[in-house]
Amino acid sequence: MNPREEKVKIITEEFIENDEDANVGKRKKNSKVQRQLRKKQPPTTGPDKMVSEESHPGNQQEPAQDEPQTRLLSVTARRGPCSLPPIPSASRTGFAEFSMRERMREKLQAARSKAESALLQEIPTPRPRRLRSPPVKELETEFGTESGKEVGSTQQEDDFQSYSRVKFHVSARKIKSKPQVPPGFPSAEEAYNFFTFTFDPEPEEAGEKLKHQDGTDQEEEEGEEEPPAQEGANRMDEEELLHGKDAEDFLLGLDHTADEFLAVRRADYESAHVRLQREKEMLFIPSRLTVPTYKKLPENVQPRFLEDEGLYIGERPEVARTNQNIMENRLLMQEPVRWFGDDGRILALPNPIKPFPSRPPVLTQEQSIKAELETLYKKAVNYVHRSQHMIGSGDPSGNFQLDIDISGLIFTHHPCFSREHVLAAKLAQLYDQYLARHQRNKAKFLTDKLQALRNAVQTGLNPEKPHQSLDMIQKTINEYKSEIRQTRKLRDAEQERDRTLLKTIIKVWKEMKSLREFQRFTNTPLKLVLRKEKVDQKADEEAYEAEIQAEISELLEEHTEEYEQKMEEYRTSYQQWKAWKKAQRAKKKKKKQATEEHPEEETEEPYAEEDPVKPTPPEPTDRAVIEQQVRERAARSRRRPGEPTLLPELSLAGSVTPNDQCPRAEVWRREDVKRRSVHLKVLFNNKQVCRTASRQLGTDFRVHFGQIFNLQIFNWPESLTLQIYETVGHSSSILLAEVFLPIPETTVVTGRAPIEEVEFSSNQHATLDHEGVGSGVPFSFEADGSNQLILMTSGKVSHSVAWAIGENGIPLIPPLSQQNIGFRSALKRADAISSIGTSGVTDMKKLAKWAAESKLDPNDPNNAPLMQLISVATSGESYVPDFFRLEQLQQEFNFVSEEELNRSKRFRLLHLRSQHVPEFRNYKQIPVYDREIMEKVFQDYEKRLQDRNVIETKDHIDTHRAVVAKYLQQVRESVINRFLIAKQHFLLADLVVEEEVPNISILGLNLFKLAEQKRPLRPRRKGRKKVTAQNLSDGDIKLLVNIIRAYDLPVRKPTASKSQQPSRSSRTFREKHAASPDTRSPTHSADYPLGQVLVRPFVEVSFQRTICHTTTAEGPNPSWNEELELPFRAPNGDYSTASLQSVKDVVFINIFDEVLYDVLEDDRERGNGIHTRIERHWLGCVKIPFSTIYFQARIDGTFKIDTPPVLLGYSKEQNMIIERDFDSVRSLSEGSYITLFITIEPQLVPGESVREKFDSQEDEKLLQATEKFQAECALKFPKRQCLTTVIDISGKTVFITRYLKPLNPPQELLNVYPNNPQATAELVARYVSLIPFLPDTVSFAGLCDLWSTSDQFLDLLAGDEEEHAVLLCNYFLFLGKKAWLVMGNAIPEGPTAYVVTWEKSHYLIWNPCSGHFYGQFDTFCPLKNVGCLIGPDNIWFNIQQYDSPLRINFDITKPKLWKSFFSRSLPYPGLSSVQPEELIYQHTDKAVAAELQDSRIEKILKEKIMDWRPRHLTRWNRYCTSTLRHFLPLLESSQGEDVEDDHRAELLKQLGDYRFSGFPLHMPYSEMKPLIDAVYSTGVHNIDVPNVEFALAVYIHPYPKNVLSVWIYVASLIRNR
Amino acid sequence: MAAGGPSVFLLMVNGQVESAQFPEFDNLYCKYCFVYGQDWAPTAGLEEGISQITSKSRDACQALVWNFPIDITFKSTNPFGWPQIVLSVYGPDVFGNDVVRGYGAVHVPFSPGRHKRTIPMFVPESTSKLQKFTSWFMGRRPEYTDPKVVAQGEGREDQPS
Repeated sequence: MNPREEKVKIITEEFIENDEDANVGKRKKNSKVQRQLRKKQPPTTGPDKMVSEESHPGNQQEPAQDEPQTRLLSVTARRGPCSLPPIPSASRTGFAEFSMRERMREKLQAARSKAESALLQEIPTPRPRRLRSPPVKELETEFGTESGKEVGSTQQEDDFQSYSRVKFHVSARKIKSKPQVPPGFPSAEEAYNFFTFTFDPEPEEAGEKLKHQDGTDQEEEEGEEEPPAQEGANRMDEEELLHGKDAEDFLLGLDHTADEFLAVRRADYESAHVRLQREKEMLFIPSRLTVPTYKKLPENVQPRFLEDEGLYIGERPEVARTNQNIMENRLLMQEPVRWFGDDGRILALPNPIKPFPSRPPVLTQEQSIKAELETLYKKAVNYVHRSQHMIGSGDPSGNFQLDIDISGLIFTHHPCFSREHVLAAKLAQLYDQYLARHQRNKAKFLTDKLQALRNAVQTGLNPEKPHQSLDMIQKTINEYKSEIRQTRKLRDAEQERDRTLLKTIIKVWKEMKSLREFQRFTNTPLKLVLRKEKVDQKADEEAYEAEIQAEISELLEEHTEEYEQKMEEYRTSYQQWKAWKKAQRAKKKKKKQATEEHPEEETEEPYAEEDPVKPTPPEPTDRAVIEQQVRERAARSRRRPGEPTLLPELSLAGSVTPNDQCPRAEVWRREDVKRRSVHLKVLFNNKQVCRTASRQLGTDFRVHFGQIFNLQIFNWPESLTLQIYETVGHSSSILLAEVFLPIPETTVVTGRAPIEEVEFSSNQHATLDHEGVGSGVPFSFEADGSNQLILMTSGKVSHSVAWAIGENGIPLIPPLSQQNIGFRSALKRADAISSIGTSGVTDMKKLAKWAAESKLDPNDPNNAPLMQLISVATSGESYVPDFFRLEQLQQEFNFVSEEELNRSKRFRLLHLRSQHVPEFRNYKQIPVYDREIMEKVFQDYEKRLQDRNVIETKDHIDTHRAVVAKYLQQVRESVINRFLIAKQHFLLADLVVEEEVPNISILGLNLFKLAEQKRPLRPRRKGRKKVTAQNLSDGDIKLLVNIIRAYDLPVRKPTASKSQQPSRSSRTFREKHAASPDTRSPTHSADYPLGQVLVRPFVEVSFQRTICHTTTAEGPNPSWNEELELPFRAPNGDYSTASLQSVKDVVFINIFDEVLYDVLEDDRERGNGIHTRIERHWLGCVKIPFSTIYFQARIDGTFKIDTPPVLLGYSKEQNMIIERDFDSVRSLSEGSYITLFITIEPQLVPGESVREKFDSQEDEKLLQATEKFQAECALKFPKRQCLTTVIDISGKTVFITRYLKPLNPPQELLNVYPNNPQATAELVARYVSLIPFLPDTVSFAGLCDLWSTSDQFLDLLAGDEEEHAVLLCNYFLFLGKKAWLVMGNAIPEGPTAYVVTWEKSHYLIWNPCSGHFYGQFDTFCPLKNVGCLIGPDNIWFNIQQYDSPLRINFDITKPKLWKSFFSRSLPYPGLSSVQPEELIYQHTDKAVAAELQDSRIEKILKEKIMDWRPRHLTRWNRYCTSTLRHFLPLLESSQGEDVEDDHRAELLKQLGDYRFSGFPLHMPYSEMKPLIDAVYSTGVHNIDVPNVEFALAVYIHPYPKNVLSVWIYVASLIRNR
Repeated sequence: MAAGGPSVFLLMVNGQVESAQFPEFDNLYCKYCFVYGQDWAPTAGLEEGISQITSKSRDACQALVWNFPIDITFKSTNPFGWPQIVLSVYGPDVFGNDVVRGYGAVHVPFSPGRHKRTIPMFVPESTSKLQKFTSWFMGRRPEYTDPKVVAQGEGREDQPS
């Protein structure tokens, strides 16, 4: 339908009509109500109307009637405006209608008396009426509603109908009452009616009215709300008008010359009675009587009760019955149907009112705030538990007591049970069973019963009481017989059971005996004695026979009965069958005849009836068979005649074999049992209230407690639980099992409660390494392991629970009333948790039970989840989710699907960043749109993810190393992830800078400072403020390298001709002068380099590819004293501590010799210009990892310069100084040294090591001892390193000595110098040093120091000082040396591990990472202080005054100097080693090494050098390369010693025409990058002499276990002219 | 946004540190700085500032008026990490040492328009009475390693602060 269209039409129609009547003004004045009404009203004849008509059959007539009425009225109305003058005051009357009406009447009477002229002049101007009429109309409507009642129209009528009727009625009445009006003229009544009721609804208005009424269904609100407002407005108007009545009259008079209507009269009095009468007529007072249901429902509709149908109906709000009735009556009057539900009650929403107020009480006005604030003193009272579980809040004696007596505990199985115990337990159990059965003696009872029944049958058969009818007797006999049958069966079963029980007892006992014999010791005192009771054989036999006979006869009887019955059945069925057969035959015949006629019948026929099978006659029973059966059964279940009765008796009289006679395993078991103790905890309402004393487990696995707990209870007992705990030794106790005790009945009081036994069993699994069979573990009694048994720990607790009796004999039991009815049960319903406890909520069964009990409304939406849960739980078959969903509505809030979210690149980026994925951790400004995010952003990350599993061999030349690298990477990732969280924990000191409380020494120092010089001559470094590394950015951090001086640098050697090879002594002499400062002035000769026989060293520091260098100093002992500043850039701009710690960059400090070459070719120009070329020759380098600097904060000291073994053109000149006394110390060492100071500006705070305790497998006592030891040591010497426990690679704490154990070095190393232990030791040290160094701090971000065992170390081929030191120490131990691990501080490593060996008369200190060794008194030993020594079986802490190796005594036997960990008070417990038994070495594939050497490293390095010289041509001198290649293996075999001269000679011989500078580099092989860096740092490639040629040779010497020693020879050659 | 360049939105902050109420202290100055997330970058204006020293007004309210202007523009791609302004107020103590008198932080308003924010200020306490005394005596009150920590949540997860 198209209501709008129609509406529009109607409106236009209205307007047309309005225009006709010039009614527009009226409409305009009309309030919005009408407009609204009109807008929403469907058309008069619209479907809505029809519907409403149909729905109210009672109303069907009315509208039809209305039409003529309205038309009629409209006719009058039309005439009205023409005939009647407007009387606004009258038309406006609202509530004052009555008086007005009267007045009107008077007026009209007056008018009538004033004769015809007035009537004739009734042509008014329509305007005022138009203005006034609408409100009147409204009012009329209202009045109509009420007056409808008055008239007594049916209640079903809607108000309009009644209204119209009333109008009609009233008008009719009025007309009737004034019949004497002359025809042709409107009577006074008519006039009156006209004015008062305004019967002028134009047709469309009437329609409107109708529409209004019909439309109320939809727009009830408007209809309801608006009229009162209108009414109010009207009232106002009226009042106003009433007040200004005179004026109005005056106006009227003016306007219409209607003075005739007006008459001044006195006010009428209306009596109260009349008034009431009238009110009664008009007002409707709803009755208070209950409305019958049928009225409230549509006709012929039965009330439905939705609740009964299972639909949820909320709780209705509480309304008084009378009010409800009134309301119903009222509603019935208005429109009954809409307001009533199907059940005939008023529609109602569930009660919204909360049962408790949520608003705090408002202060009453009278009381001032002050009064409210006044404090009142109240005596402190004990907190009364306001819980719902509380008992008797009003009960004064709410003090109840529950006595729990726990007498003991017996294990029926325990892990410590020996096999014998298992059998014993079984035996005891069987015996108990036997005793119980014996006591009851059911078999005997049944036998007696049988006897009695038989007697009864006998007597029944021989009736002595004739007065009983035969039928009755027969019946009773039959009953008896059936009973006999049953009893016999029962007895047989019982007897059989008894017998089998006895048999099993004997069997178990036999097993036990054989076991005791087999194991040759006894564990249990159990002893079974079988007592035989002699029986009279003859009597017995007779009885037996008689019994059998009786049984046989009975059975026979039964069988014959049965047989007869069957026979009967057979006969009848046979008859049937016969009949059927006959019929069949007849049918067949018939069929034959009828085949043609009814072919279809034929087909159907056979299925109609099934063929009855021909019955077989039953077999008659055979006595012999029965007898045999009976005898068999008797033999099975009964004692044979003459067999003695066996009475088993179990006693504990046996003796247990003492410990010293038992095998070890058994002794261990017994000891283990002794170590175990058991205690119980009593839990009341799931709260522990008390626990028993811990009692040792007896050898018989019984524990006697004998404790009585008096529980003073306050809460109603919900549950009573015993928890059984077992403690082994001193470890923590384990919960074995829980036993739930029933709450005693109220009648059970102390003293009367029997001791009860409750069984428990535990699901604990235990395997023991002794005789104990364990628990939950299969074991077997058989030798072959068959017949396995799995026993779980179980046992019995004997206890009694009872209510206590008070002093005056009153049992302290909570009153019964509270327990069951009222209080508790009511609460039970109310709240699941209160009634079954929180634990119960998780227990489905309990919950379901509770739900069933509490009659939970299953339809209440509040209970929906609960009901679903219960239904799921109870139905069983449906899927029970084993998870709990916290936000089950989450899905509603997901604005996109999961996939879509994952597809979003932006989201992915954000997600990865928040996960701290390294690639994205510092990603800035993630773009807004997906389209702005490049795919390549993820490429690296994805590649890394892929690579995780793919082993890439590009960077790592052999696969093994690649695997190791991957493994390390993974370990590192996991470790980092583990510690990232720990890193989040800030300490106060990280955030807040707080001055420490000054103590006396600081104060004193400060005072001293006041006196100190302002500018001391020798300034010292002061401590700086530390900066936390969180707010740093690029460029903030600088590396400061202070290069102070160097010692003993190699000096240039004059390049002599081939023939001029000087002898060592002569050279020494000459160079002594050359090196002296006096002769330093350069000689500008042609062979300029030759004359310049000194060295002009400078230092170049390169870090992160930034290079700085010092000025050039002169001489072999130069002093620079320069500070170099290098910027530091953190990876990814991440300056967090974790990131800084993992910086792998290395600071290279290279020492070069600056060589000036005169390039002037013409001597004549020498005076005019200087043309020199600077060449730099690499002398050596010092490498310091950044991580070391970071952790040390500063590095200060003298370092040995790593010089190549062969430095062509240079020589060390220590020999020349050796004669001088003052340098005698230095002469001990070989090599050059440099003094450095390196630090970071600003000073960074290194990450704290993780303050976390790791779990350990060490004994608790040992761990405690280590803590104590460390604490003691730290107290005395806080700066000395003391290490007792370390963390192994799996993150467990391990005692340090477990790492030390003699381990075999590779056999080939031992074979080299079989007779020279010292050389072997050096070789081994060299081997160890060839394993690449990878600091833990780098791999594990400095968070922890993980120690790997030597085999792990060799497998990983990477480790830091500890691993190297451990391996070296183990090798030395294997070689039979006395060796210890030294924990101490060294430069540049900081805290580190070295190895000390005792060599007959002196100590040697070995640096495991370099393979060098130093004497104890070597000043250049990098080890600067010694914290502790660690041997394979002890730790010694240095408690000497000094800790420098120079000044201490390494004699660990002196307890005054060394504090040992294991001492007499704590003996060494014999800790097993974590190291493997033996190290297995694989031979390294030489082919692989060769391939690596030639095609990989050499090629790559050559390419690199060419890359580094982009502007120059790089020529390779093949001849030289091959020479060098031959030379490198020599170097390896001699370990770079004493080959220089030969080598030089060789080279000179071959390359005489070239000026040659170059050197071999030696390093362990880990990966490519360090090699490239090392070559780069030498700066060989920097020579840019035009005709320079290069040579590069690589040699790899493989050692076992893939340890590769790499030699790289780089050289530059310049042809001499 | 410029074509081709990544889309960003801009946040322009204009305002001033108007005044402060430090009933016990006088002659204070304040510093401000901004703390913002990874997706934010300042494009114009000053990220940090230090105001003049002001003394208490003589009237009843005794406000310390700085009227110190703030003018900064951020660009960002993500509302996460919305900028916060961190204020720290310093002033002399009895001995004339410059000590911190308060830290505080507030988010830059989320909606455009004129906003007025009042930031409660606080200072870290000494860990003990003795330290309190010494820090008072020596003029080295406990202070944050970086005022920005007041606007950062890192490490606060498990400790009530």
